[in-house]
Amino acid sequence: MSEYLETTVDKFTFKIATDRLYNAEGIWAKAEGKMVRVGLSDFVQQRSGDVAFAEVKPVGVEVAFGDEVAVIETIKVNISLGSPVTGKIVEVNPAASATPESINQDPYETGWLIVIEAADWETDQSHLLNPQAYFEKMKREAEQEVKKG
Amino acid sequence: MTGKKHQPKVVIVPCSGIGKTYGTVSREAAYDITEDLRPDDTQLVALSMLVLGDESARSAIAGNPAITIDGCKLACASKMVKESGGIVAQEIAVLDVYRRHKDFKPQGIAELNEGGRQLAHALAEEIVVTIDALVSKDTGGQNG
Repeated sequence: MSEYLETTVDKFTFKIATDRLYNAEGIWAKAEGKMVRVGLSDFVQQRSGDVAFAEVKPVGVEVAFGDEVAVIETIKVNISLGSPVTGKIVEVNPAASATPESINQDPYETGWLIVIEAADWETDQSHLLNPQAYFEKMKREAEQEVKKG
Repeated sequence: MTGKKHQPKVVIVPCSGIGKTYGTVSREAAYDITEDLRPDDTQLVALSMLVLGDESARSAIAGNPAITIDGCKLACASKMVKESGGIVAQEIAVLDVYRRHKDFKPQGIAELNEGGRQLAHALAEEIVVTIDALVSKDTGGQNG
């Protein structure tokens, strides 16, 4: 079970899982041996709204750090997700397309998107934020959005 | 000469999300049903009137089955009908219908794009199936 950093901004409560790293756009990457599981942070899923469709690149596709790995269409926006890791996609979550609401309901566990076999995780993770750093960034963004109304 | 027997109407309660595309789709579908597709069998009740405790709105849902159309997962229409003592015969979410009709991408707020209008109509057609079943049940399966 993951542990979380948690904050409430206005009427919204956001959780950041502490057992993984994040890119600046709020995509998480969780190392599992040579494999890295990837998904959306709670903040990104809440800010973006209910997911209508998730189109994820298929198994076998090789991606570089920052390459698009998925496009998420929500009731508010379309989001292009950049990969937080270089490597080959080895698994795609069937729930992402069959029951995309799982991305909203459980973004850190059943709502994961893909697993990538990392080519150079040591290098990639040096470009990612630790949970505390992402937590602070996320809080600032959330507070700014509240101020904007 | 005999008086026409009062038939219960199916109450349609759409989302009140102002300034939201999916809210607009829900209301367009509700107008489609109550004004064009099944005007004789349905009655539109504004969610805002229920929230305000309007007596005529509350009595409409107290005496008739309701179909709620929600624009987001907050499901305000469904919750409010239940809190007001109504019986929800069908809860339908715009997003679920959109997932079945990916080509009808809704855009716009005050005025929907073509995709939004098509989505509203598809939503209305789905709800009409439930309305017909409810009306048929009430009339013992006899029309006219």
